[in-house]
Amino acid sequence: MCIAASGADTQSRPPDPLTRAAEEFKVLTRDQGMRPESAATAQKSGPKMPWHGRVYENFRNDILDAVPHEVTQNGGDKSILRRNQFGFNVAGPVLIPHLITDPNNTFLMVSYEGVRERISRASLHTIPTAPERTGDFSQTVDQAGLSLPVYDPGTTAPNAAYDPGQPVSTGNLQYLRSPFPGNRIPESRLAPNIQEALKLYPLPNTDIGPFFQNNYFVNSPQTDTADGFIVKIDHPFHERHRLTSSTSISNGFLGSAKYFPNLASPTPPDQNFSTRRSELDYVFTATAKTVYTASLIATSSSTIAGDASQAAFPYYELGNYLAMGTPYPQTRNARNTYEMDASGSTRRGKHALRLALQADAHQVNSFNPAYPSGDFQFAAGLTSLPGIIDTGAPFASFLLGLPQYAERTITVSPSYFRDPYGNLSGSDNWQVAKNLTVSIGLNLGLHMPRVEKYNRQSTVDPAVADPSVGLPGALVFAGLNGIPRGLRPANFDIDPSVSLAWNPFGNANTVVRAGFSRSHGRIPTYNGQWATQGFNARQTFISANTQLSPALDLASGIPPLTTPLPDLSPSAIDNAAADYMDLTGREPVYQSASLSIEREIPLSVIVSAGASYSGGRDLLVGNSSANPNAVSPDALSYGDMLYNQAFHTTLQPFPQFTSFNLYGLYPAGRYQRDAGFLGLEKRASFGLTFTATYTFSKQIDDYSAPYGNQDFFHLQNDRALTASNPPQTLQVSYIYELPFGSGKPLLHFSGWRGPLVSGWSITGTAYWDGGRPLAMHPEFNNTGNVLATLNVNVVPGVDPHVPTPGPSLWFNPAAFSQPADFTVGNGPPTEPNLLGPSYSSLDLSVNKRLPLGERSIELSASAFDFLNHANWNYPDTGIGPAAAPNVNAGRIIGSHGGRVVQLGLKVSF
Amino acid sequence: MRRPTLFGIACSLLALPVAHAQPVRLSIPAWIETGTLGATSKFEATLNGKPAEVSAQLGPASDQMILVVMDVTGDPSLVDPAREALISEISKLPRNAWVGLLRAQDGLHVLADPAADRGKAIAGIRDLPNSGNPGLLETVQPALTLADALVQKSPVRVSVLYVTDGNIYRYREDYTNPVINQSDPHDLSRRFPEALIEEKISKLLDATAALQAPLFVIHLHNRTDRLNRAYQNGLQTLAEATGGRTELCRSVAEIPEAISATFARMSSEWRLTLRVPPKVHGLAQVRLSARSGDEALRLSWRSRVESKERQKNGDRAHPNRTRSGI
Repeated sequence: MCIAASGADTQSRPPDPLTRAAEEFKVLTRDQGMRPESAATAQKSGPKMPWHGRVYENFRNDILDAVPHEVTQNGGDKSILRRNQFGFNVAGPVLIPHLITDPNNTFLMVSYEGVRERISRASLHTIPTAPERTGDFSQTVDQAGLSLPVYDPGTTAPNAAYDPGQPVSTGNLQYLRSPFPGNRIPESRLAPNIQEALKLYPLPNTDIGPFFQNNYFVNSPQTDTADGFIVKIDHPFHERHRLTSSTSISNGFLGSAKYFPNLASPTPPDQNFSTRRSELDYVFTATAKTVYTASLIATSSSTIAGDASQAAFPYYELGNYLAMGTPYPQTRNARNTYEMDASGSTRRGKHALRLALQADAHQVNSFNPAYPSGDFQFAAGLTSLPGIIDTGAPFASFLLGLPQYAERTITVSPSYFRDPYGNLSGSDNWQVAKNLTVSIGLNLGLHMPRVEKYNRQSTVDPAVADPSVGLPGALVFAGLNGIPRGLRPANFDIDPSVSLAWNPFGNANTVVRAGFSRSHGRIPTYNGQWATQGFNARQTFISANTQLSPALDLASGIPPLTTPLPDLSPSAIDNAAADYMDLTGREPVYQSASLSIEREIPLSVIVSAGASYSGGRDLLVGNSSANPNAVSPDALSYGDMLYNQAFHTTLQPFPQFTSFNLYGLYPAGRYQRDAGFLGLEKRASFGLTFTATYTFSKQIDDYSAPYGNQDFFHLQNDRALTASNPPQTLQVSYIYELPFGSGKPLLHFSGWRGPLVSGWSITGTAYWDGGRPLAMHPEFNNTGNVLATLNVNVVPGVDPHVPTPGPSLWFNPAAFSQPADFTVGNGPPTEPNLLGPSYSSLDLSVNKRLPLGERSIELSASAFDFLNHANWNYPDTGIGPAAAPNVNAGRIIGSHGGRVVQLGLKVSF
Repeated sequence: MRRPTLFGIACSLLALPVAHAQPVRLSIPAWIETGTLGATSKFEATLNGKPAEVSAQLGPASDQMILVVMDVTGDPSLVDPAREALISEISKLPRNAWVGLLRAQDGLHVLADPAADRGKAIAGIRDLPNSGNPGLLETVQPALTLADALVQKSPVRVSVLYVTDGNIYRYREDYTNPVINQSDPHDLSRRFPEALIEEKISKLLDATAALQAPLFVIHLHNRTDRLNRAYQNGLQTLAEATGGRTELCRSVAEIPEAISATFARMSSEWRLTLRVPPKVHGLAQVRLSARSGDEALRLSWRSRVESKERQKNGDRAHPNRTRSGI
């Protein structure tokens, strides 16, 4: 019988019920194996954790999906998908008689997952028409729909009437050249080896337009497989010691959806993946306030791509037509990381101190020839009227076998790069006052430069003179002539951080957070064999004048390398493209600051708002954003003389090299991001959990323009909105347990109906952004190869916006114009006031749990883009000259997306 | 007479009997959100409008046992303020409130038995190392089962209090659905990664539905990533289903306040034992009223009533834990 006890009673009498309850507590906990003195038998029968786990299958098939919008728009009615993802997980105590008898001691978990899938990839391309393949360009038109004349390079002759004092124009030609009669290349002029290659090139299969563009739709399947395991074991020793080991293994095959059903397909090769990871963690709890940890981690991932048993197809680049062949057709790469971590943390008064040491050893073993069978670039110049834009065609140059540029990679051996790293960090969480905590951190990092196991790496050192030309800039080799093994200096970085959490006015419902941090980025070691010239070769062939003569005669092929490898001469790569490593020691530097406020309000809701700043300098950029061997835009005044390669190179800072390859590792970029956010979080109540975050931001940089930078000498001139950053985003996620069935307010049935209506829940996410900045680009770049990228001109006084943006016209192309020949564009790389179409996606998962005693069955149906919403593609941003405007400018062709459904079945036991 | 005061209520759970061959009792915890009732106030109850005899009631001044389960494995700058606040609150408890101390790492382990002398429990809290893996999800069911057994066998109020800083990524179990095959580019199964956490919470809700001790959780480190949000929300759902509550601390300053508020709430628990009227089963409307001087209290909520047989079979699909004030 229960007795209501008064306070006065309990104060004056012995608490008999409590004593009885305490005795009961002792008995129960002993029986349940919760006490040190519990008998072994009790421990075995106590609340041990039995083996348990789950088996699952996730099923996808195109009969469940909506046909993707991009497929239906191209006349398709099916997009093949067969996917099964299956696996299991088991976990539980390890018991070994006489050795491990405590069921709470050693814990083992094993997971397996396999994937078998066949999935289609849809894409739309432009390829030559059937007449063009035979040399007939009589129907070929430019972006404006005007006839595109193709000229015979064999008829080129100097124009005696040319006036060098005037710009080249149709009335003042520097060279005379006759068009092919009827705009048809005679069959006898067609290069035989190109005709042979064209047998592997498909014919158009659709006519999306405009004109003959977007005429090849492909929706080909690829086959992927994967199998992986994770095994984890955890064991505590003598209360204060704990050892955890985790190992994961995964092997997979990633097929490539071919554009052509043969080896000339310009798609990445099939790849075999293998990943391994092992981690061993040891934790020693010295005292209640002091803990030491140590970890050893080894990871390995390897990729073998392509079929090494057959020769790779050459890579033919055909302007705006789909290429043939692919870069990196046969590669082998392996990345290994060995990491050792040790840390100690302790509490001293109001300070929580932590000291951590990390030492990493990275290995990248790479055999990565880019163009073992050659790369051949075909441009309009050789079939144009020299100096006159909107003449000539890259595919015509291809049919004649006249590349403007060619190169071949000769890779003698793999590279074995090593990249060690060390880090010492300390932090102090200081509780300054009851309502104020300040965290201070200091990170000391030692970044060692990349070395090669056999010192087979090199770069151009601008401080060393090239003896063959007597100019600054010679090839130097690691470990040779006093050059350090790492070529560049090591970096020792000091990175501070500070943050605080403050409850103002003693109000725990409100938290103000602020923080500042500064950090350095590492120079990574990518896959590939960049900066190994002299040990491997990159033969390059550049046209003496890209409008007058080819880089080489394709019929004769690429000549053999005349100098045996290794060639450790400082002039080994003169007159070729050079791999250029920055030797100054610069590395990326980032800093950020943030301020936010959170407040909990009734109904379990937290509202938050904040602002942040982040910025960086010396960010790593590639060839489209920087070029230390660029010709100054001031040289544009030389006009058509710039097409003379011999003259052009004299204007370069390092004329002995045709170009520099930075491999995305040149520290020159800057960015700044200012952002604010509003957040709403509803914690679990009435079965509903909900979070929403709205972010508004402005991000600008000088390196990420989609078409590259115009002026390498003044990167600040290309500072513009980041094309990949949407200024506004909204993200929502929610979980709702439906209020039906057992324990819920509605439909609480008994009998068979009970399990049917119980256990339903909905999980969803939603994403929306308001569009990303648009990047305009001119259709033609007639700057004598001085500007790798040309910006458009902005037409003063013309509003780029249209009243009702839509697929027929998203922006006003009249607000932009093609710059005149040999002039820079005055517009920015991305438009400050023009955004592309918004993007949205709604994903939803409906789950049903059916308890079966200790077991349960989980059914799930997940729909991604469940409303089957089509998101518009981005508009055509190509701006043509007034005489031949791009009729497609501002228009949107098609949309993409489509509902994808996955069904899941999981049995838990 | 003064106008009747409206009270919010945080009531708890019930597991009531049905086919009443013999009298069936229901033990429920309840809290008075505002106002005060004297220790001698008498409750009256109805189930589905039928009077239900309040066969016993334990008020805030009655005997109490608090089982504190420590599940601390992380940042000492959060754990140490929690220790200090816990010790402070335990020291302030009346003499008829006994505290037992347990630890949740690698199973549930007793560190100090409930006793009039709190020295051992306080020393245990002070000396407990914060290391290992989180253990709440794996130990909460045995902890509630233990407390429920005490509730059933002794006329004391029993609460379970977890103090945790658990991170869902650090459990020995796999609740995060980690990527196994890095080379699988079309994996959609991890777009809703909280599924395993929801499944575990659902299992615990089923398994603890018939247990009648309230669960309180003080989470010292509110994390805002998606999986930890799902985990923390699951803890809230679980605690509220038992009539208890979860406090999520977003800063160090909130820790002492959260612990103080939780102890105040545990101390103010009423535990009522109702005799279930015949023919009441399924989801039942529960109404409580009490009068103390000029002040009247009325409470209303729903609960599910199960058969005695099902209770015996351990299949007491428990009461609806939804509640509403009137």
